[in-house]
Amino acid sequence: QRSFSTSKAISKESEESSAPKTGEKEAKVKEKKPGKSGKENLLDLLSAMKVDVTTKKKFQASKSQKSKEQPRVHPESMESATSMFQKATTEQQTQKESLSPELVAAASAVASSMPFKKSQTESELLQQLRKHESDTEVHRKGETNNIGNIIADMKVGKRPNARSPNRPANQIRFDDDGRGYTHDRGVVNEFDAVRRRKSLFTGKRLNIFPSMTDTTETEPKEVSVPSLWDIELAGQIAAVIKHLPRNGFEEMIQWTKDGKLWQYPINNEAGLEEESDVPFHEHVFLDSHLEDFPKQGPVCHFMELVINGLSKNPYLTVKQKIEHIEWFRGYFQQKEDVLKESEVY
Amino acid sequence: ALRCTTGNVEQVRGYYVNWRMLRDVKRRQMAFEYANDRLRINAIRKNTILPKELQEVADKEIAAFPRDSCPVRIRNRCVMTSRPRGVKRRWRLSRIVFRHLADHNQMSGIQRAMW
Repeated sequence: QRSFSTSKAISKESEESSAPKTGEKEAKVKEKKPGKSGKENLLDLLSAMKVDVTTKKKFQASKSQKSKEQPRVHPESMESATSMFQKATTEQQTQKESLSPELVAAASAVASSMPFKKSQTESELLQQLRKHESDTEVHRKGETNNIGNIIADMKVGKRPNARSPNRPANQIRFDDDGRGYTHDRGVVNEFDAVRRRKSLFTGKRLNIFPSMTDTTETEPKEVSVPSLWDIELAGQIAAVIKHLPRNGFEEMIQWTKDGKLWQYPINNEAGLEEESDVPFHEHVFLDSHLEDFPKQGPVCHFMELVINGLSKNPYLTVKQKIEHIEWFRGYFQQKEDVLKESEVY
Repeated sequence: ALRCTTGNVEQVRGYYVNWRMLRDVKRRQMAFEYANDRLRINAIRKNTILPKELQEVADKEIAAFPRDSCPVRIRNRCVMTSRPRGVKRRWRLSRIVFRHLADHNQMSGIQRAMW
């Protein structure tokens, strides 16, 4: 099961490059509230920033805004990730293309702003991102790639057909020693003639059925939105066809279709298929939703804690998290007068 | 029970063992509805950061929620007999029903203990 706690991975990366500075950085986070939520050109800003100004918070903020501004990861890059994963041992140089160019640009900008060993930090960051992408791809596609490789390597074993006995088939077989039965050959010998053909597709064509290409071309032209009458008719047909379950297995099948019974093998993320398509940074970097809140004071502190907690929660969908934040926004706007009395809003 | 829907009088039959079970079901449904709101208002209440006046207002708000919306009122009853006590959580059955089914070999993987 995946957990969305990638903030740890990101903090680990920044710590790799500047281990002695993290203590100072965290102290500075508490002193300065990062008020820069403007949409400037972040790449230039990052490269121009000096060491003592860069904090973990800004890295996260810049990364989230960067990824939010530009369009999402393209499907071509996802496909290339899976094919790269198959040939992972041989082609390592081309793996750089599997990451989206925005992420690569953000990583290089951040690496250039770090004090020590820019190329090394950049390569480490890219490695982490690549590993994350490949892990999510593996999770999504399952083990199908590996099994395909394994099966392709296996050879078909042939059992030598036992030589058929040398007496003709229509001669009566009788038991020699009065056992009362002959040696049962089974059905195998009847299919010998059929099996001796090397493969299915040798032999003369009979031309009984129309060839495949004609039927498949006409099908996709007639797709239309099913009307209510069609849905009703389909429901009626299904009701007529449906029989009462004759045994426990059919009952369980019916219940699984209804949704009353879980699907086996148990999938922990059963109702959440769409959620796996949501990229991880939307779960973790929720700062962008905090724009309507006051920039200072206890309310801001409270909302930062809320966001921190939500980013670590792997059980909620992104929509649910956004709903939480919006509820708080509405609530604080309602209670404005109470908050103004205590001079907080 | 009779229930009026669109003027037609229909009989409504439920499958719950008794009224107490039905009330427990209603409490569970209501607790599910109000779960998010309760969570958020409690987050405001159990806080050292926000001002106390706001927390007092939140206190009154949560007290104004219907009584059946709090999860504390839910009782894990036996699913078959609605017995409130002696219910094992894993099977949601009371001890008597559990024993009955286990002795008749209806519980997968359950065997009489002997050691």
